[in-house]
This record gives sequence, C-alpha cells and structure tokens, in this order.
Amino acid sequence: MLDYLLICRSVTYAQRTAKALESAGISAVVTRAPRGLSPAGCSYCVRVSGRHIAAALAAVKNAGLPPARVFIQSENGGYSPYGSAGAPSL
Amino acid sequence: MIYLDSAATTLQKPKAVARAMKTAVNTLASPGRGGHAASMRAARAAYECRELAARLFNVPDPANVVLTSSATHGLNIAINSLAHLASRGGAALISGYEHNSVMRPLKAAGIEALVARSELFEPEGLLRAFASALDRGRIAFAVLNHVSNVFGYIQPAERIAALCRAHGVPLIIDASQSAGSVPINMLSLGAEFIAMPGHKGLYGPQGTGLLLCRGPADGVFGIMQGGTGSDSASDAMPAFLPDALEAGTHNMPGIAGLSEGIKFVLSRGETRILEHARGLTDEAARGLAELPGVRVFGGSGKNRAGVLSFRLKHTECEAAAEELSRRGFAVRAGLHCAPEAHRTAGTFETGTVRLSVSAYNTARELRALVSAVSEMARKSPRNRNNRPGAKASPQKFYIVSRPNARGSSSESR
Repeated sequence: MLDYLLICRSVTYAQRTAKALESAGISAVVTRAPRGLSPAGCSYCVRVSGRHIAAALAAVKNAGLPPARVFIQSENGGYSPYGSAGAPSL
Repeated sequence: MIYLDSAATTLQKPKAVARAMKTAVNTLASPGRGGHAASMRAARAAYECRELAARLFNVPDPANVVLTSSATHGLNIAINSLAHLASRGGAALISGYEHNSVMRPLKAAGIEALVARSELFEPEGLLRAFASALDRGRIAFAVLNHVSNVFGYIQPAERIAALCRAHGVPLIIDASQSAGSVPINMLSLGAEFIAMPGHKGLYGPQGTGLLLCRGPADGVFGIMQGGTGSDSASDAMPAFLPDALEAGTHNMPGIAGLSEGIKFVLSRGETRILEHARGLTDEAARGLAELPGVRVFGGSGKNRAGVLSFRLKHTECEAAAEELSRRGFAVRAGLHCAPEAHRTAGTFETGTVRLSVSAYNTARELRALVSAVSEMARKSPRNRNNRPGAKASPQKFYIVSRPNARGSSSESR
C-alpha cells in the first residue's frame, strides 16, 4: 500500500494535523518532509496509509487544517503530487 | 527557611518538575530542527506543553500558545505588536497597578500611558474609570494587571475585557500573578494577548513563560528574528503562530519542567489553589492588622489573592525584611518593580514588605510570620504600644475606601 505525505508548514502544524487524524481513528506519523517537496524550505509532513487517505483528508478539512500539499510515495521511493496523472483524484 | 516570596518565583515545585528537566537535558534536542528521534521527542514535549496550557486557559488552538522566556518577554511582544495602533496619537490605557514589565516597554515604544485612576482596591471605580477613558476615545489598546504583584488585589478582568470588546479596543492581560491561581479563560475574555511566567503560579522553572495569542499571526511582532525550523528559504520570519514569535532554540528542559508544573495546577485546580492562598493571606492580614504600628495593604474578600503588603511604622521596609530573613522568613521589600502600584497606594516613598504564598505554604508558617512581626513591633523602641499585652489602636486592615491622592479620574502619566 502506498503512503501519502501531507506537507505541513511547521512541526507544530504537523502535530496538530496528526492529533486531528488520531482523533478520527487514523494512524499518522509526523516526519521531516523530503527537501524537494517543500520549496519554502524545511518543513514537516504527516505520513498516512493510502488506505485512509480519503478519510484523512476529510478529517483535516473538518479540523480546519488543510495541508500545504499532498504527495504519494511510490514503492520505488519517488513522490508524485496527489491528484496528478496516474494518481487517484480527490 | 519559610519561603513567602512566591510572587517573585515559587521555590517549592512539584518533584516531577526537576525530574522532567533532568530527563530533558539528556534526551531532548531541538523541536522543529530535525527528523531524528531526539528532535522529534523535543517536538512532542513542546507540543504537550502548548496543549496543557491550551487546556488550562481554554485556548482553542495550541499553536496560539507561544513559549517565551518570561512574562516580561511576552508583554514586550504584546506591546510591540499593538504599538502601531498608537502611532497616530493614541494612548495605552492602563490600571494603576502595572509592573515595570508594562511601564518600561510602553515608555521605550514612546506610547503615552493613560492611568485609569480609582479608589484603592475598589473594582467599581476602576470600571468607571476604564469606561470613561474608553468613551473619550484615543485609546489604542489597554493593559490590565490581573492581580497586583504588590497587594494581591484581583482586578475585574472579565468586566474590563467586556468593556474593551464593546469599544473594539484590544486588551493585553498581564497574568503574572494570576496564571495558575485564578481561573483564566482566554476564549471568553477575548483578550488580544495574555502574558504569564512559567515559574510562579504554574510551578515551572525560571526562564519559562507563555504568551497566549488570540491570533492570527499577521498582527504579531516578534522582538527577535532568527531560525525557526520552518520557511527556511525565506529571510523573513514565518507568518504563522507559534513560529512567528519563537526564533532561536527552545529552552527544552524548562519547557519539560513547565509541563509538569501545569499538570500540577490542572490536577489541583486553580480555584482550590486560590482558596488555599486566600485563606493564608486572610489569616495573616488579620493577625498583622492587630499588631501595634503595623499597617496592612491588600484587597479584601474575593478580591484578594495570595499576596499582601505591610509596613511597620518605625521600621524601614528593607530593614524589616532583613530582620525577617535573619529570623528565617523569605519576604521581599521595596517597590517590587511596580512603582506605579505603590504610587496608587501611597506607598511609593516608603515601599512595603510583601509576603506571597504558594500551594506549599501552611497556616502554621503564616502564624509564625505574624508572631515574628509581632515581636519586631514590640521591640521597636519608638513604638508607643510596645509593652506586652498592649492592644493596638483599632485599624482597618484593608484600605478600601481611601480616595487616591490624585483623584478618581483617568490621568496621563
């Protein structure tokens, strides 16, 4: 199963996002965002399983915590923006 | 030593505070500065502190809890963030009990301070003075000392906040003496900022503080710029909380200790802590007021927190505090960094001796202090009532009706 990365502007924002997901029963892990995925510089992301991505996006929307961007991590380690060609749309 | 100087800093802390600090020194790196385990542990610790404070003070979003080094740090941020509102001749409306941590930043920013004068320790008069000044306009923002650090007088913060909201005037609350010992609800107060230390009523270590921000971040002005671990590609500070106000490395041992202090307050409850403190200061005030040549200053009844001041008629306040120190009591004398409060009470020339309690003090300790002061008063050679068994002349120990020497209207400093 693919992982999804919800890019957040700061570690605090990522923690709030993770808490909102955990409150919705979705397992979430805060990690450092890959450099190429955060053009503004250093940032953090919340990693969720692809199984839960739709519920996760709904939960963060309800909590008023939209991610800056969402990426899919492929099995070979590459990243593609969520919603791009070949990726499932919202 | 019997420690009665908790208005400066609480010396006795829950044991968990020192334990958490010790663990933090060995296990926590910098939050938001890496993805390794020690950095992530630090990020969780910092976030836990924000969450605990948000719970205690009813702040809807933990990101609006800014970790500072002291209440003074927070007040400087708050005043500088609102200073632009005073740029066209506006003034800051303040109470007559403000600390230098408010007076000096106002002066440094070139902001005129308009003092809402009223009778001493009389909330209705203060409300009238605030309302009158707000009605006249020209008020850019207001600052309110929630509890006087000299007299323990609890000011009517909820009603002042409602007045400010009705006039659309932002309010800064200095909660240095109230945080942890008087219930504070950020959401219902609607204050723009509430600043507090971590090392007093929150039982954390020195070097910690909190600034609660109503938000959003576009109205805040950090007094430091630097690394935040976010938006690093930009040479401007991030435009979001808490990062906008938290440049530089965090005091993680302090923050870990502060979390334990807040847990202590949450477990005990501010109301219970306040009742305990009030019980102690009430008893001390009654005991001191009965002594010959002793005058007590403080709020009364529900307007009193765990601080009160007194003066011995024939003993200079620093000498009295020194003598009490020799007898094993830690109290503080002088102006307590609050000359404005002493001007308000008419004690600017003499200063006072201040005693202040925490959740760890006992009635027995306060009785011992009263007994020591009694002995000092009896031994005073110039005291006419110094013979054993002499009754003090009747005295009101709360000054509740003495009009301020400068009248009851607002006046500019």
